[in-house]
Amino acid sequence: MLEAVNVSFASLNVATLMPMTIAIIGALAIIVIDLIKGGLDKSLYVMIAMLFLLLDLGAVMGSANVFAANGTQLGFFDVMLIDGLAVLGQIIIVVASMMFIPLALTSKRFHEFSYPEFFALFLFMIAGFQFMVASDNLILIFVGLETASLALYPMIALHNRSKSFEAAVKYFTMGALAAGLFAFGSMVLYALTGSIEIHQIAGVLAADGYANMGYVLVGTLFLLAAFAFKLSLVPFHTWTPDVYEGSSAALAGYMSIVPKIAAFIVAMRLFEFLIHSGVIWLEVVLYAMVVITMTMANIWAIVQTDVKRMLAYSSVSHAGFVMAAVLIGTTQANTGLFLYWILFSFANLGAFTMLWVSRQKVLLPGQSSDHPFEKFSGMFQTSPIQATLMALFMLTLAGLPPFALFWGKLYLIGAAVSGGFTVLALIMALNSAVAGYYYIKLIVFMFMKDPVNAEGRDYLVNASTSLKTIIGMAAFASLFLFLAVSPLIEFIGSFVYNSGY
Amino acid sequence: MLDHILSILIFFPALAAVLGFIVHKDSMRAYGIIVATVEFILSLWLWYAFDNNIAGMQFLEQVNLVPAFGISYLVGVDGISLFIIIMASFFTMLGIATLTETRRIKDLIITLLFLQMTMVGVFAALDAILFYVFWELSLVPMLLIIGIWGGPLRIYASVKFFLYTFAGSLVMLVGMLFMAYYYYQATAMMAPNGIGTWSFSLLDWYRLRLDVDLQWWLFVAFFFGFAIKVPMFPFHTWLPYAHGQAPTIGSVILAAVLLKMGTYAFIRFSLPLFPDASVALMYPVAILAIIMIIYTAMVAYAQKDIKQVVAYSSVSHMGVIILGTFALNVEGITGSVFLMIAHGVVSGALFLLVGVIYDRRHTKLMSEFGGLAHIMPKYATIFGIMMMASVGLPLTINFVGEFLSLLGFYKQSHMMTLLAGTAIIVGAIYMLAAYKKMFFGEVTKEENKNLKDINKTELLGLIPLTIIAIWLGIYPKPVLEPINNSVEVLVQLMHEKAITEEAKSVIPSIVKFETQEAH
Repeated sequence: MLEAVNVSFASLNVATLMPMTIAIIGALAIIVIDLIKGGLDKSLYVMIAMLFLLLDLGAVMGSANVFAANGTQLGFFDVMLIDGLAVLGQIIIVVASMMFIPLALTSKRFHEFSYPEFFALFLFMIAGFQFMVASDNLILIFVGLETASLALYPMIALHNRSKSFEAAVKYFTMGALAAGLFAFGSMVLYALTGSIEIHQIAGVLAADGYANMGYVLVGTLFLLAAFAFKLSLVPFHTWTPDVYEGSSAALAGYMSIVPKIAAFIVAMRLFEFLIHSGVIWLEVVLYAMVVITMTMANIWAIVQTDVKRMLAYSSVSHAGFVMAAVLIGTTQANTGLFLYWILFSFANLGAFTMLWVSRQKVLLPGQSSDHPFEKFSGMFQTSPIQATLMALFMLTLAGLPPFALFWGKLYLIGAAVSGGFTVLALIMALNSAVAGYYYIKLIVFMFMKDPVNAEGRDYLVNASTSLKTIIGMAAFASLFLFLAVSPLIEFIGSFVYNSGY
Repeated sequence: MLDHILSILIFFPALAAVLGFIVHKDSMRAYGIIVATVEFILSLWLWYAFDNNIAGMQFLEQVNLVPAFGISYLVGVDGISLFIIIMASFFTMLGIATLTETRRIKDLIITLLFLQMTMVGVFAALDAILFYVFWELSLVPMLLIIGIWGGPLRIYASVKFFLYTFAGSLVMLVGMLFMAYYYYQATAMMAPNGIGTWSFSLLDWYRLRLDVDLQWWLFVAFFFGFAIKVPMFPFHTWLPYAHGQAPTIGSVILAAVLLKMGTYAFIRFSLPLFPDASVALMYPVAILAIIMIIYTAMVAYAQKDIKQVVAYSSVSHMGVIILGTFALNVEGITGSVFLMIAHGVVSGALFLLVGVIYDRRHTKLMSEFGGLAHIMPKYATIFGIMMMASVGLPLTINFVGEFLSLLGFYKQSHMMTLLAGTAIIVGAIYMLAAYKKMFFGEVTKEENKNLKDINKTELLGLIPLTIIAIWLGIYPKPVLEPINNSVEVLVQLMHEKAITEEAKSVIPSIVKFETQEAH
């Protein structure tokens, strides 16, 4: 006879579920609208998605207020966990999504945006990521991760080019492998501790003094590998350039921001207690991974001939740079992680949108990929404003002061110094210098070379008012966000600190 | 307005550059000249308003930028930076006025005005991050100037320039972060609640006393950034390419102002922050400086290209500046600051002169010339005066600086000063040899027979430089005095901050201050 479970509605704390629910309702609404009346324009769906994301953001802000007032909230049998990290993560996810979804409003028609399902999948994906960051239950994290990933694969494939199919299948295969690794790692930890909640796992492990170190190692290693796939850390990064190249620039830019912040938050929850409890080997492995990721990705980025692939490798390098924050593990470092990622997302948004507006549907003769460096040769002479904007984004990504990303770099390297990782700080700094080369390379092409095959070249072929607005916004943010760095640090810092990270 | 004159000096060119996008390209040069002249007059006004009796920082302005991390917009000048700022605005003005470039003139002038903002900013900044911001930002305009308007190898040269300095300064950035963190720890120890504050303000840093070990590490970290910029041997390899490929205006600004950022930063950062390390590393740095002086002087002698001769001779003189700086006494440092001005005037003028002949013949090979004194007498005269100034003839501007620098170092080591002194003789040899090849003898090349002598625009740029070179050679006091006052404060600060007895004995205490304290 099963015992009857008495659950009071209040104890469920439904408010914790509110933001994700809104995103899911939005997705369902889009499908229903399509069923009622087909053939509606993509602009409608973009705006519906925007509206629901706005509501979503409002709900996240609501839970931010609750967190600020009452501290960490648990809900749904303690499966949901709304702490500062969850709130910050959701804000970044939703805001970044709101910046990227209008990129569908291109002046040229692209296959994927004619399907309302694309936008439904987009919202499902966001809900998945939100679940992922708002929980410390390994199963819910897994479900969130898979929801998001399974929505993302078809979105890539919908781009309807042979390279997109390749990218989607590659991403799917790698994602499936990562999922397997994640499941296996969680299983080992569950077998060891009898719990699937991270804080309980931490408690049980600490209570028996890490007696079964061997098993802890195995479990953590598998989880690390799983997240390394998602974060594209070397040597699990191999899918990144191909997938970015195959997807549209808009989606590639999106993939370089949002899935990673979700994975970073889970990595923070999972690995920090392990590092803090003195599991030395994990520190060593992470250290090596961070250094190798930064350095190797930079070197690979140097030899790329396609700007999008270069940006893919550069985003791998940035991920390695930020992963250093997880390794350092101080409050300052974790604050730096969010600060860096917010500033990075604006610069990357700008760079990928610039690629996106210059994307021609048919490749010009003699052009092997969408965005080879030669395409931008002499761009300053034909379209000076676009070239200047692109240069601005490149300099921002290179971390040149006073542009936005520099302050993130500064804060993170500062965290490394104050966390006692002086050598790491030096490596991070030198890697920024190496990265300077490939960002400058594009500037060299744009400003110092003469146009090649310029006939029929249009750098604004895809531009519409909304895309231009987004570029303008990203440029404005890159230029002037340094004025907001101080409030950002305080805002992020209070959330991070109050969550105990 | 006087309260904000430094901010105006920094941001006026940048604002003008942004507005310049609207000006039509045919009128751009006039616009550039007007803006640069206004800026120069403002900088002269700064000098006029500058109080020689105050040895510390003047015209201080502070605005908090990132209070949580101790970063602020903090600017100010003392005698050390004042004249370099004036020189920066002076050379931008001269450079634009004598510009002969015709390709994409509008872009060039906008770039130059942005560059001017960064140059003034570097020398006025008293917050390490602000300093770093301008320091790094100055790379972009220079990258573009070399890369767009340069010679055939321009892209290689510009990227090499950028990467070299970028890499060096990132190491320096880590050093800066460490300093700020050290400040945080130090204040945390003092504060009752144990919570420190971060600070990147140099004025705050000057109050810190660091362990000797830590000084060593930080000295080295800062050294990378500064030494690459100077450029010191063995980090100098980017410079010949940059000079070789840069257009005239690029070389002029690079030699006259940008290189000074490195030597200025040694005086502003390394010496007062790390006095013990400076003393301990005095000889190693001096040896590098002497290698740099002698080696590049010899290389200069072997050049076939007149611009490379000037470029290497400029590196050689930078070595004397470093030597004077690391004499660590008032004479040496005053001399080296003065020599920065002198070197700016002389090498700037020499690059302008090389530009004059390049515009006419489109070659810089000395073998292509000969007997130019017959054809271009005015040109030959000015070149002669500047060359004499460059080799340090008494009563010219370089002599004062070189003499004081060497005098300062003579107190530390006779032998090494002697070695450095021989380089001045070598300098005379290669300069005179180059002059002989170009200007004396018969006119051998047919093309040279009809060369026009120097024209009015060029004279407009060169005459003031000649006058300054002689005037300050004969009567350096107006410039030397404020420099000297500020340097005395600096040396006294170093003496007080030094921990080891050895350092205290090497860095002299200034008598003036001790008597003041006694009262």
